[in-house]
Amino acid sequence: MMANDIRDNEMGLISELKQKIVEIERLVFELKGLGRGVPVVEKNAGCILSFTHVLRFGISDLVEGSDGKGG
Amino acid sequence: MSSRLTDYWNPFLETLPRERLVKIELKNFHEVMRYAKKKSVFYRKKFEGIDPEDLKTRDDIKGLPLTDKEDLRIAQEREAPTIYGDILGVDPEAVCDFRQTSGTTGKPVYVPETYESWQWRVEVWCHILWMAGFRETDRVFVPFGYNVYVAFWEGHYAAEKLGCEVVPGGALDTRGRINKMMELKATALMNTPTYGLHMAEEAKKMGVDPKEMGIKRIQCAGEPLPKATHNMLEEAWGAEVYDHIGGTEPCAWAAMCGERNGLHIMEPFFLVEILDMETLSREVGAGELGVAVVTPLGRYSFPLVRFNTQDVVRRGKEGCPCGRTSMMITEVAGRADDLRKIRGVLFTPVSVEEMIRKEFPVIFEYEIVVQKKGIMDEITLKLEPQEEMGADAMAELTARLTEKLKMKTNLRFNIQHAKPGELPRYTLKSKRFKDLRGT
Repeated sequence: MMANDIRDNEMGLISELKQKIVEIERLVFELKGLGRGVPVVEKNAGCILSFTHVLRFGISDLVEGSDGKGG
Repeated sequence: MSSRLTDYWNPFLETLPRERLVKIELKNFHEVMRYAKKKSVFYRKKFEGIDPEDLKTRDDIKGLPLTDKEDLRIAQEREAPTIYGDILGVDPEAVCDFRQTSGTTGKPVYVPETYESWQWRVEVWCHILWMAGFRETDRVFVPFGYNVYVAFWEGHYAAEKLGCEVVPGGALDTRGRINKMMELKATALMNTPTYGLHMAEEAKKMGVDPKEMGIKRIQCAGEPLPKATHNMLEEAWGAEVYDHIGGTEPCAWAAMCGERNGLHIMEPFFLVEILDMETLSREVGAGELGVAVVTPLGRYSFPLVRFNTQDVVRRGKEGCPCGRTSMMITEVAGRADDLRKIRGVLFTPVSVEEMIRKEFPVIFEYEIVVQKKGIMDEITLKLEPQEEMGADAMAELTARLTEKLKMKTNLRFNIQHAKPGELPRYTLKSKRFKDLRGT
């Protein structure tokens, strides 16, 4: 099968991945807010957001019409 | 999972149709520019009166000023609250990593990374190492103390993220490293081409055939890797050797896939323009040489817009048998700032390395020195053979080398001989070319 055909079929998966990335970011922002002033929460939550930044770049941007920020 | 998904680090991104790649790059270019104008004093001044929204196509971008290494140096010399000068794109407290350029062409440039921007760089390297076949089963030996130089740090963290087992091999001498690699049964290496050759030479002196050491792949960094040197390394180690191109400021922006025939531009992590060398205003066509101008997209601590890398590369076609759709580079011809006019002739040191590695395997190490003698430029090549040579053999080598150098460069070289082991060995960037005319 040609790569382009598979890609068409994969758009559903990519959209779902993007949605999960958005959800994770929302949850981590909440976590960070709840733990404001607590280094172990704030710093680890910040690190997780750095990884979702990378995922937004690699996955969320692929969804047509995406604003690149996962939303 | 099918191999379509596992052959690539990011199968969706790496096989995306070009028009989609270009669209994503332009969108992210706008974002970087908007960010840079807002957060970096340096870019606020540089792009005064320019609205990123007016840049609709790649051609529109050509009207923007370039950013040179010298601009960065000047920015870091200006009075500013931090050592990074007024280019810094984040609060100083957000910076968590300090790196600097090697200073080969002048005062080193300091490069700040936040945890986020560092992860972005590591991700680029994950693509590079996955393309080169690094996998969870590899034990990767990195035979350097990385110090403040970025490439091996990036490679280290990316290999770790891939799931490889990474062995930092600093604080040992070359023989110690070879012994450690054998003791740990390392399967992969990351090194400069020069040091890869040096380690192979040392292993042989220890009675060890590098081919028998179990190294399957080598990712090179830090220096150009002409085809002949690439072949020598593969032959010496019996391993697949992979190249990439990049720099401390923009990160690695192109790398080899398993075809080992040219470099893939790491799209859409970067918007790369390959511009004609005379005017730097026109993108060259496939097969032409040009200077690479690189904008990293998605890294904000040290925003760079249209960074003139000074790397002279030959643009290839789009696509590759590996299925990746990114634009290709077929040759790294050298650096624009390495180009010298000697007795009126344009000269680049990479052309000599290519010739020596290909046609004179008896020469192990060499050094080129240009200096003034009266009003004339004089160029000398000091060569060090693999082993002691008799006078006749050396005279024959000298005559043949002089003739070949003349044909290759249109310059007449003085040839000097060094004893085996006399010339310096390099672990990081080699300095085989010395232009002493200005000193």
